[in-house]
Amino acid sequence: MGVVAAAVDQVTGRWADALFGLARRRGVLDQVSADIERIALECKPPAVQAFLQGATGSTAERLAKFDVLLESANPHTRSFVSLLFERRREEVLVQIGAAFEQRLLEERGAAKGVVESARPLESAELEALGRDLSKRLGKDVTLTGRVTPELVGGVRVFVGTSMIDQSLQGRMDGLRRRMMEARLPAVGS
Amino acid sequence: MDLRPAEVTSILEKEIENYQGDTRMQSVGTVLSVGDGVARVYGLDDCMMNELLEFAGGVRGIALNLEEDNVGCVLLGDAAKVREGDTVKATGRIISVPTGPQLLGRVVNALGDPVDGKGPLGTTDDDLRPIEQDAPSVVERQPVDQPLQTGIKAVDAMIPIGRGQRELIIGDRQTGKTALIVDTILSQANTGGGDPTNPEQVICIYVAVGQKQSTVVDIVRRLEQAGAMPYTIVVLASAIDEASMQYLSCYGGCAMGERFRDEGRHVAIFYDDLYKQALAYRQVMLLLRRPPGREAFPGDVFNLHSRLLERAAKLADNAPEINPRFKAGGGTLTALPVVETQEGDVSAYIPTNVISITDGQIFLESSLFNSGIRPAVNAGISVSRVGGAAQIPAMKKTAGSLRLDLAQFRELQAFAQFGSDLDAATQAKLTRGERLVEILKQGQYVPVKVTDQVVILYAGSTGALDDLAVKQLAEFERALIEYVNDSHPEVAEQILTAKKDIPDETKAVLDGAIAAVKAQIQA
Repeated sequence: MGVVAAAVDQVTGRWADALFGLARRRGVLDQVSADIERIALECKPPAVQAFLQGATGSTAERLAKFDVLLESANPHTRSFVSLLFERRREEVLVQIGAAFEQRLLEERGAAKGVVESARPLESAELEALGRDLSKRLGKDVTLTGRVTPELVGGVRVFVGTSMIDQSLQGRMDGLRRRMMEARLPAVGS
Repeated sequence: MDLRPAEVTSILEKEIENYQGDTRMQSVGTVLSVGDGVARVYGLDDCMMNELLEFAGGVRGIALNLEEDNVGCVLLGDAAKVREGDTVKATGRIISVPTGPQLLGRVVNALGDPVDGKGPLGTTDDDLRPIEQDAPSVVERQPVDQPLQTGIKAVDAMIPIGRGQRELIIGDRQTGKTALIVDTILSQANTGGGDPTNPEQVICIYVAVGQKQSTVVDIVRRLEQAGAMPYTIVVLASAIDEASMQYLSCYGGCAMGERFRDEGRHVAIFYDDLYKQALAYRQVMLLLRRPPGREAFPGDVFNLHSRLLERAAKLADNAPEINPRFKAGGGTLTALPVVETQEGDVSAYIPTNVISITDGQIFLESSLFNSGIRPAVNAGISVSRVGGAAQIPAMKKTAGSLRLDLAQFRELQAFAQFGSDLDAATQAKLTRGERLVEILKQGQYVPVKVTDQVVILYAGSTGALDDLAVKQLAEFERALIEYVNDSHPEVAEQILTAKKDIPDETKAVLDGAIAAVKAQIQA
């Protein structure tokens, strides 16, 4: 549960900005984003992440492990990954997928969101919710569903760092808080 | 806490009424790290400075560091309930405290929640005020010209405090700083008979920062016994409270005082003490990783105190026309901060800061305290930069030469220790000085009315006491004041209303009284 947008560290953010800007200027955004998506998927297993965060050996040796992956990639993607290894910044690859996706969504005026509900939502319901939210936020919102039985009823929607809480649990929490915080007249007054 | 069924019903009513309503977008974040009473949160895009945040488990926090990729906040509750990955909600509310007459006679914590077990305060949401507020601007103020009588002879005579002034009380531990405050609070009963509804009554707010709870309990009990609690609010952030609560308590107390000031009332607020507040602030800021400066205090520790003390003011009579936030003009907020020094070192960081912010200081010295001069006010280095304008004319005239006489006495006293043969003039100065020092002594919890102060100081400054033995003076003072109040009750009024000096006919009455009491004592 929680915020949809992943916490991306500043270093990764800066590298992602550089690659994104370059790809957009050269008109190869689609190709580069497909490459990055592929690399992000490849970097997901914990073993690969461990390698990226604590690799030893020369640049060429370490980069060799990515050769197959980079064969069909765009030259810009290839240079990007090579430069990362050369600068010993390969840990950037761990979060590059998330960082790049954020920028891509922003560029397209889109946003991804999560709908939590006590029972599974039907796709028609999700779409209807998405349309409503898109209108309200002025962005093209794509929602995915997630079942969270603790909510008891209603839905809770997360988009980026915003939340709309219409769940029964949220209401009960709010009620409890208001009860606790209520500034009541002094007894006997 | 006592909940009344009717109130529960009204909350539920509102809840049902608004059931369909609330689809507000809330800003949320995730806890990245938590520890030592601070948390770092990712997200919270629209978070405001000093905004109240809500953590899981009902714990509240305040956003203090708004950084590029995270928000640093202090927790105002049990940090053990907050875990990494928890969702944090922004409330859209700046941290506020309840204010108003319902707080009088109560002991509350830094957030204004009662801690004296006397039930809820009975304030409403309209009584909430943000703890951080802008100080009144130049045009909204007027010069200080009304006295705040502390009831302490040495202070009222030589270091007069005006309403709206900021006067620092500084000294080592165990020199009577808190005793001076308690006496000042007790003395305010003389302004409005201790009745908080009387507009003349000065409201007192005692903010205890980082004090031992036993000390505060003792003070509250003392105030209750003396009937001073009905016009006093005690804001308690004791040594066991979180550092964040300790540093916020001063601002909370100030907001409570400002409410009265803005309604045209007179308020005296005591911050006891600002050194401990700075320590609490340093702790929080170091944990939030703000860069440390001198003595590891953060760079804005000067502003921490200046923005607090700048809120003390005497409002202009037409303040409500200039700014509608003021309900009435002419109200005052007098700040009496305390700073504890180590080994009398007033040149340390925090003492010099606060000395430069305030309009003067009352310096209490342990050597004086130990030699039996209590209150241990060092008249030589204590000053009040604006209070002179606020002294009543009779006191100003009578005590005018006091400071000089005492300074000469101290110089001669040091000199006289070397030789035995002294000329008559020197001997006379020493005799006078000894007697002046003696009549400025005063017991604890017995504030003296300003008119009584003038009577005894008049006796001292005219030399009428020179032929009395020093140890007879305490008895003489008591007898003289009693005699004047019983036989010549009109004298008090004449002293208060005197335009320049004590009128000649009053002086004649006083001279007669002094002679009569002297005869009685020497008999």
